[in-house]
Amino acid sequence: MAWSLDYLYAGLVSLLVGLDRTAVLQLLISRPIVAAPLTGWVLGDFPLGLQAGTLLELLWLGRLPVGAAIPPDDTQIAVGGTALALVMGAQAGAEGLPMLLLCLLVALPLGKCGQIFDHLARKGNGRLLIRAEQELTWQRPAAATRFHLLGLGFFALASLGTYLGIILSGSLLLPWLAPYLLAKVGDAAPWLALAFPLVGTAVFLGALRNRRILVLYLLAFLLVYFLREGF
Amino acid sequence: MLPLRVRLRILLRLPLLQASWNYERMQSLGVLYVLYPALRFIYRDEDLVLACRRHLEYFNSHPFMAGPILGTTLALEEERSLHAEGSLDVGEFKGMIMAPFAAMGDAFFWGGLRPLSAALALLLAAAGFWWAPLAFLLLFNLPHGWALIAGLHGGYRYGPGMIERVQRYRLPDLAVRCKEGTALLLGALSAVLVADTLRGAEAATAWGPCALLPVLLLGGLARLGVSTLILILLMSAALLVFFG
Repeated sequence: MAWSLDYLYAGLVSLLVGLDRTAVLQLLISRPIVAAPLTGWVLGDFPLGLQAGTLLELLWLGRLPVGAAIPPDDTQIAVGGTALALVMGAQAGAEGLPMLLLCLLVALPLGKCGQIFDHLARKGNGRLLIRAEQELTWQRPAAATRFHLLGLGFFALASLGTYLGIILSGSLLLPWLAPYLLAKVGDAAPWLALAFPLVGTAVFLGALRNRRILVLYLLAFLLVYFLREGF
Repeated sequence: MLPLRVRLRILLRLPLLQASWNYERMQSLGVLYVLYPALRFIYRDEDLVLACRRHLEYFNSHPFMAGPILGTTLALEEERSLHAEGSLDVGEFKGMIMAPFAAMGDAFFWGGLRPLSAALALLLAAAGFWWAPLAFLLLFNLPHGWALIAGLHGGYRYGPGMIERVQRYRLPDLAVRCKEGTALLLGALSAVLVADTLRGAEAATAWGPCALLPVLLLGGLARLGVSTLILILLMSAALLVFFG
């Protein structure tokens, strides 16, 4: 039952990095470039985690966590996708980039449920505010401030809920999808691995709507490409 | 003057500002939690409850810019407790400053520094440096930590004069420079990845610049409102049909 321990360890990582997303510190260990390698390191394959992080990092980089806006949960996609690739890959004897890409493609749509759980956590926190106001009415200010820390519990549950959603759905879907898709993903793996950062870059540049920045991107691409490959 | 241990407790509580973020009043309960050690030091009994009520009102700003805002709030609360004439109303100050500081913080930290740090880390990872995630954390968190610590300290020390000091850093201009730097790094990253992929596939390197076409096309679709998820799934499906 080593796989269940692996999912448990990855769950602890998901909790830690999930709290960093909004509730605590915001050191950005919740970004895929950190969360996925951390998961890989905990499960014994740091390079695969780093690869997952580099594939996912740019996809929602342009979505700002501003005000009431909740971006898709790329943190749990990174943790869940990496954990699925390592655990299910070891079970099926299909490790490496093709399995990782298949797991990420399965995990990507499931990350949308992270927005729902996050929304529920913020609704739950609204009830804590009401309780804190009641405590102030009863002249107990210290008790009022304690309700603030209970909000960590809601955010932690939201992170774990998303992680479990990805792991459970992935565990059901992957054994069914892998026989049909794994060979095809393997053939297209280098191009898929290129598509992830290019789509992320395109979305980032598109969101900026700035011609000068687009020109800088094009010039940097052409300069570096021809310096490497020769004119 | 607030003792150092009280100010340290506030500094340690500051990273938890958003722990109870909610739709009704956003960070208000967090503000009360952060400021409570100081309020308890300054006020007693009924005055303490009134001060707590004052800080449970709507508050929303960028979490890293809360340092200078709450530092200044502490200075104003101290002034108020001494019944200093002409001192700025605490609630009025917070209401006046939270939105402009939020805009500056969002533009610089989320819109400028975060993409720049990520692009640099991705370029390092593409070059084979395993410590790329650590570089990302270091580059982002040096200004982040500085904003929290120096912001809280400066806000308390200079009071409302802190606003002018923050403005001197021209954060919106810095954000634009960061975005330009990000574009350059992403251009270099895309070029490296395209060149490596073509070499791996033993394809002619002359095809490389053609990768710019899908980037421009996908960027146009994103601008029209097509979601990132749809774009990556469609692109992956197309590649699986073509190469798989």
